Amino acid sequence: MHISEGVLSAPVLLAGAVLSLSGLAIGLRKIRNEDIPKVAVLSSAFFVASLIHIPVGPTSAHLVLNGLVGMLLGWSAFPAIFVGLALQAVLFQFGGLTTLGVNTFSMAMPGVLSYYIFRKMIHKGENTAFIGGFLGGALAILLGTIFISIALIETEKSFVGVAATLLTMHLPIAFIEGIITGFVLIYLKKVKPEALG
Amino acid sequence: MKRSFNSNNFLFVVLIIFFIQIFAIFISATANAHKVSAYAYREGDKILGECYFVDGSACKNSKVEVYNEKGEKLLETLTDEKGKFSFNTKEKGELKIVIPAGEGHRAEYKIEGIKEQIEKKDIKKETLKEERQSKSNQNYVDREEFKKMIDEVMDVKLQGLRREIMDLRKQMDSIGLRDILGGIGYIFGIWGIIMLIKRKRNAS
Repeated sequence: MHISEGVLSAPVLLAGAVLSLSGLAIGLRKIRNEDIPKVAVLSSAFFVASLIHIPVGPTSAHLVLNGLVGMLLGWSAFPAIFVGLALQAVLFQFGGLTTLGVNTFSMAMPGVLSYYIFRKMIHKGENTAFIGGFLGGALAILLGTIFISIALIETEKSFVGVAATLLTMHLPIAFIEGIITGFVLIYLKKVKPEALG
Repeated sequence: MKRSFNSNNFLFVVLIIFFIQIFAIFISATANAHKVSAYAYREGDKILGECYFVDGSACKNSKVEVYNEKGEKLLETLTDEKGKFSFNTKEKGELKIVIPAGEGHRAEYKIEGIKEQIEKKDIKKETLKEERQSKSNQNYVDREEFKKMIDEVMDVKLQGLRREIMDLRKQMDSIGLRDILGGIGYIFGIWGIIMLIKRKRNAS
């Protein structure tokens, strides 16, 4: 889920940049110094996840892990994902530097929303925590596809068409990421509960 | 303070191991994401090209738009099942080929103009004409046939070379382990700097 350079018009790019900048400001203010190693690890996890393709269904899509990043970091997901995306753009030419704002917002915001919606479930029993993680991970992907579709409205003309293709493409990814997020959360809950914040 | 640093350290190791594991499983099979690349070359008035995702899979039935130097759209065509496309154009200047592969993907490729070569050819043609006039008719036919033969042989020979160039391009677009490890290093470096700045600000 990376929008390439030259696809979007200037107003859309600007709107994405402004939204991402506000997210970045909140995220950077909320990070405590001792949280930074955690943010750095999740940032690089996000960076690597996009290289992992899941060949399920008609077209293969890659992992995003924005749900996991969001649920572990809250608002700090913004700077974590921003750094990951910036390096993907520079090193792999995924997305692009001009679309960084739009891409950051459409990946990080769903993670933050998942964090607020399912945060309470994580602190309950193990089963509830797993379900919370699963739903959070899956929701972040699905919301991400919807944000991307909104950004593409202007270029692709039919919102429903793009959203439908992207959603069907990412349904398996949402499922897999839900499971990954769920397992990581209950694992951390067992070995390091304070990491869940 | 010390305690929380240790717990973060632990988390760090756990997560790193976790991701290296997934990473090791998948990296050998596919080290790529959905970036679209295009490549094209000129063959007389014909332009041949190919469009592919970074993992080497073809970009099927995708729209191909061709623009001239001034940014005017010249024509539109589609890629076939193998991601290949071709079209004829009289335009000798620089051509820009844009492939909007849908869902926010897009590839661009520029073909250099061939104006200078054309001018040189014109001069050559004039001198050739003079030569032809002085030479016999028989000789002229031979020359045309000879040119055809060379063209045919060159086409066969260049085809292999072109395929090799295409493969090299695909290889250059693919992502190696070095890029990935380097990227992770950069990320830790960036966060290290952020940590340093934050600590200084807290201290002051």
